Amino acid sequence: MSDNEVTLTIDGKSVTVPKGTKVVDAAKQVDVAIPVFCYHEKIGPLGCCRMCLVEVEKMPKLMTACTMDVMPDMVVKTTTEKVEKAQKGVLEFTLLNHPLDCPVCDKGGECPLQDNTFKYGMPDTRMEFHRANNAKATPLSPVITIDRERCIACQRCTAYSERIEQDQGLVMLNRGFHNEVGTFNNEPYDNRFSGNVIDICPVGALTNTDFRFKARTWDLTNAATLCAHCGCNCNITMGTRLNKLMRVEARPNDAVDDGWICDKARWGHHFVHSENKILTARENSRGDGKPTSFPVLPHDCTIEVAAGKVAEAFKKIVEEHGPESVGFIGSPYGTNEENYLYQKLFRHCLGSNNIDHKTYQDAPGLPVSHYDVEQIETSNVVLLIASDPTEELPILDLRIKKAVTTCGTRLVSLNDQKIALDRYSSQSVQYKVGCEALAIDALTNGLARELGESAPAQGSDQSGVSAEDMKSLVETVRTSMKICVVYNPSALSGEAVFGVKRLLKMIAKVPTMECGAMPAAPMTNAVGAMDMGLLPGFYPGAVPMSEQEEIKKQWGENAPTGTGLSALEMIACAGKGQLKALLVHRSNPVMDFPGGSQVVEALKKLDFLVVHDMLETETAKLANLVLPSNGPGYDEGTTTNIGGRVQARTKALETDHAPDWKIINLMLNALGDETDYDKVADVTEEIAFRVPGYQEISKRSVGKTGCNRESIASADELVSAKPAGPGKNGSLRLRIATFLFAHDKILEASSKLAHHFQPSTAYLHEKDAQRLGIEDGDTVLLSAENVNLEATAKVNNRCQSGGVVVPRVSDEQGVNGLIGVDGGMAWVEIRKV
Amino acid sequence: MKDLHTMKVYEEQGGYRSLKKAFAQKPEEIVEAVKASGLRGRGGAGFPAGLKWSFLAKDVFPRYLCCNADESEPGTCKDRELMLKNPHMLIEGMILCSYACRVETGYIYLRGEFHDLNFNLEKALEDAYAKGYLGKNILGSGFNFNLHTHLGAGAYICGEESALLNSLEGERGEPRMKPPFPAVEGLYAKPTVVNNVETLCVVPYIVNEGAEKYASLGTEKSKGTKLVSVSGHVKKPGNYEVVLGTPIREIIYDLAGGIRDGNKLKAFIPGGSSVPMLPADQVDVSYDYESLAAAGTMLGSGAMIVIDDSVNIVETTLRLISFYMHESCGKCTHCREGTRWLYQIVERIMQNKGQLEYIEKMEDICDNMAMKTFCPLADACVSPVVSSIKYFRSDYEEYFKNVPVSSV
Amino acid sequence: MSGFTFSAEQEKEIEHIFAKYPFKKSAMLPLLTLVQRAERRVSPEAMVAISKKMDCSPAYVQSVMSFYTMYHAEKVGNYLILFCINISCQLNGCDKLLEYTAKKLGIKVGETTPDEKFTLHREECLALCTEAPMMRINDTYYGDLTEQRIGQILDSLD
Repeated sequence: MSDNEVTLTIDGKSVTVPKGTKVVDAAKQVDVAIPVFCYHEKIGPLGCCRMCLVEVEKMPKLMTACTMDVMPDMVVKTTTEKVEKAQKGVLEFTLLNHPLDCPVCDKGGECPLQDNTFKYGMPDTRMEFHRANNAKATPLSPVITIDRERCIACQRCTAYSERIEQDQGLVMLNRGFHNEVGTFNNEPYDNRFSGNVIDICPVGALTNTDFRFKARTWDLTNAATLCAHCGCNCNITMGTRLNKLMRVEARPNDAVDDGWICDKARWGHHFVHSENKILTARENSRGDGKPTSFPVLPHDCTIEVAAGKVAEAFKKIVEEHGPESVGFIGSPYGTNEENYLYQKLFRHCLGSNNIDHKTYQDAPGLPVSHYDVEQIETSNVVLLIASDPTEELPILDLRIKKAVTTCGTRLVSLNDQKIALDRYSSQSVQYKVGCEALAIDALTNGLARELGESAPAQGSDQSGVSAEDMKSLVETVRTSMKICVVYNPSALSGEAVFGVKRLLKMIAKVPTMECGAMPAAPMTNAVGAMDMGLLPGFYPGAVPMSEQEEIKKQWGENAPTGTGLSALEMIACAGKGQLKALLVHRSNPVMDFPGGSQVVEALKKLDFLVVHDMLETETAKLANLVLPSNGPGYDEGTTTNIGGRVQARTKALETDHAPDWKIINLMLNALGDETDYDKVADVTEEIAFRVPGYQEISKRSVGKTGCNRESIASADELVSAKPAGPGKNGSLRLRIATFLFAHDKILEASSKLAHHFQPSTAYLHEKDAQRLGIEDGDTVLLSAENVNLEATAKVNNRCQSGGVVVPRVSDEQGVNGLIGVDGGMAWVEIRKV
Repeated sequence: MKDLHTMKVYEEQGGYRSLKKAFAQKPEEIVEAVKASGLRGRGGAGFPAGLKWSFLAKDVFPRYLCCNADESEPGTCKDRELMLKNPHMLIEGMILCSYACRVETGYIYLRGEFHDLNFNLEKALEDAYAKGYLGKNILGSGFNFNLHTHLGAGAYICGEESALLNSLEGERGEPRMKPPFPAVEGLYAKPTVVNNVETLCVVPYIVNEGAEKYASLGTEKSKGTKLVSVSGHVKKPGNYEVVLGTPIREIIYDLAGGIRDGNKLKAFIPGGSSVPMLPADQVDVSYDYESLAAAGTMLGSGAMIVIDDSVNIVETTLRLISFYMHESCGKCTHCREGTRWLYQIVERIMQNKGQLEYIEKMEDICDNMAMKTFCPLADACVSPVVSSIKYFRSDYEEYFKNVPVSSV
Repeated sequence: MSGFTFSAEQEKEIEHIFAKYPFKKSAMLPLLTLVQRAERRVSPEAMVAISKKMDCSPAYVQSVMSFYTMYHAEKVGNYLILFCINISCQLNGCDKLLEYTAKKLGIKVGETTPDEKFTLHREECLALCTEAPMMRINDTYYGDLTEQRIGQILDSLD
């Protein structure tokens, strides 16, 4: 036994645990369950409920096991007469004024108070007075109901608000018997993690308003699956009844979410029952009345028929116009299996490398280790680049707060806008909108100078970061010893992302430095999409087209090795009539790509457009053929999160409709590939076989908590950053920011989270506002590319002068239309309306 | 003594002369002296003061000294008088304690209602600073000490040392988990000494006259003198300084003039409302820590509440339970629910609706509460209940006699 | 919610308060007391102003404020009468005197007179037990009360 371990005896059983472990946790190790209410492993001991009283030899009074550290040779007894009497006493006090609501309380069946009373309490009560009344079923927020009569004042929720969320929104008010949980001035408890209090409340005081009275917990079928929103891939449990989604709960996974989920995960999955779901394959008339020369779908055809028709049509076009004339725009929201099969279809069967899934530049792999989320807590410095976890990856926000406040980690932010996490950062360095490449390169050069290396990038002091700030940043990075770089490739304009890779290489050169990175794009499976080769220049596993030998070995002699078109290039080519056919999977270029109406025009010019999606979209309206995608809730497969962790989605709902991977399988079959996948695990197996980095990935290794894939090395990039050019007089550079609760196809008007929807807002620097004669609160019009967007101006210096930040708050806003169809930096004119 | 609160008079009486004496010694020597004097905390717990000072975590700085002037224990009003009439003694004591414990910042935590008293203290502080007794390099010793007052806002629980620290840190006055103890992690998580006003006021005497002289007073385990606030049904209520070991009879009948209105002594609570009460036949118990402990009660804060036979103890008990119910911080289940339940039961008894079984029930509730809570407030609530049932059961039974049969 | 701003004098006082402590957070009670004394209550607006000074959430300020008896959400009268009803005072007949006081003021315990002059509350031990029964009116302690003395005191206050 080392110095850091302690051996003690609990109920006669010997157990050895690390120093500092609480007795209640040590007991779990030897299967001794000490009942608790207020104790929660992640929140820490509170000592409020007194349920965990145990007897300790040589101590005169009973002690609470949750607050007591283990001591060497301690002898703990949890089942003596004294303890049993104390437990009965605690429960009697706890139930003294607790209403007998069990028949109508949602918590019934999963209620620790019920369970502990059954196990340790008395069958009756000696309380003969009227129980105290308090407010019942009051809205604490639009999604949480609080019943103060049921509250046992364990303070778990208020401690959660203080220690985990760290915003002190939920507090204890009053004193003594009048203790109650509340908010400031009865305002709604309205942050993005509020729902976790429902999971942790040990009674039915804090309940899910959406789930209220809908089902009994024991009637639910629970599926251990993943959230389908951001790149964190938090683990959730979907509870369904009679094949309808009833509720979502957290499913603790220390390696990902640390036991918490954000409110979008909890209440943002109603799209699974959306009225806008595409349920059957259909043909669109495209509204222009032109007859198509393409196979007509028989009415009510089977999916086999539809898939077959699509495959045939593509084959025909390739035969006529060559493989360069067809393309695939996939999605970072597709599963690994779906993405893998689609790129296989296009490459293997159609010979085309026109495959992509995004509109920003990036290349797969990293020149350093791919850190998992847990490593944030063991890093000395976390460097955010162009990343805003609070909006983009909420659980990462909590994890960073935890690391900063309890693990001694320092947060440094290098961003073009102010972010909520700035409060926790020891350094917040802001570069001008559009100047990220310059700032990143300046950091790289600074480090190079310190290391005596040659500066790899062109220097420039135009980034908007002062020399002093940059020097300080260089110093912080250089002396960090263990650094985790979290960068958002989708927020880096131009080729700046390659600057990040260059920076990482330079950091790794610092002696005794441990450096890792996390590509933190907000989309669910952005990392997986890159790994699966949904890229015009890479095969799965980050194998670049230049590795021809390796490609042919793995994929056959006919595997195409010429770099294909990127998504934006495909749109451009479509507009020129060079691209004839396009298949779009779980993506909505009309709304989400830059270019606005030009995208529509381009797509209209295609001979054949197929959209394979879950919900009706603007792009689907333009398609010749629409195929149904089951989507999250129904689908199965794996996704790879920002930490490189591959986890499994299991289906929570049943449907007769074929899963996507089966549909693509049918297409493959129709095109001559005879592989038959019986179940999705078969595809996963093939991925393990074919994709470098995924060798260890299987249904078993992924299990319920996931498995990291190997770090994938990046190819050398020699692209140098170009400083963003000057704009037209008076115009500002546009920075579209992510907003977690955007009103879009996923969060519809009927969403439970609709109270979070925000109006269109443009954030300006005071210098620009003054110059343009705009005041805080004015209605303004942003114009670019013949698109006008109305917004309310907010002058709060969110970005430096010269830029304007516009969060994407809805589909309607159409903000992507302000960017040119080639995806470059957008310059907008702003004027007061 | 008139005007003892002014610097002039205080100095004339020899005030602040202990400082020079102390600075000539090493800080540890003063701690040892206080230990040897046998001085025990005068706020209620009676923990040996010197020993507490020696528990400060070694080599951890800065350290703090908090004077607990929250005086909210019912019956207790000695600290208020001390600070009103002799504020400089407290200041002097705090300077000495800080020197001994290597503390550079001190706070006097006054209960919020002592607003006017605060003015007096601040004036005294001003004068002390002016004389160079506070601040940097006091009397050329190289020792720095800054002292401030801080007002609470009306919460009995803030008299508990860890709740006091939380309150001083601007939080709700809920007690803290112990360990860690304040001597290791106290104010702002630094080693802190928390002492009662009276305790600190004794320190100048010990430094001036020596530990033996102080220890020569009192009994074996209870050295020195104690201020007793005698109140209730006595002819001459007031604050009296007694040598520990004085029989209680002397305190009640000699010092306080005996029971008024020609009534007889029925009961007395020797240490503030939080300690068990004793019946009249125990009046010869010696007023010191160990004798009172042997008698089943405690010396506590040193407030002698005297109750004569005109009173039904149940009424008194109800009033006390009500106090604890109001002052409970609400953190732990037993105290929050239990104090209110006890109140409801005793209230019902007084409404002539009670049953004999209530007594057993109350005893069991008290047993379930005692020694199982986060802090001793629940134990304090239990004391009057248990002791009143033990010694004055007949008072309860009086009420049961009046219960109409139909209401049972 | 219209805002609450500290006066210049109060700002000075606040600086003085902050200087006493090595950490800002200790100024919470002094700031709340400052507002209570000036406004005779602590309003939600004031809590927001305090939270800004203290760099914490308004909910936290409310949490602390609602814990302590001396902070009131509702405005109290010009003279806040706290009548001790704890043991030493009870033994000395405070209950009857409280009744008398309430009657004299024409209000129930816990209420404020219509002209907002007096608010009458029960209070726990105020540490003047040797002069029981007693009451506290604003900052002044009055002990050894009798009906006559109470009458005199109340009449003397304008």
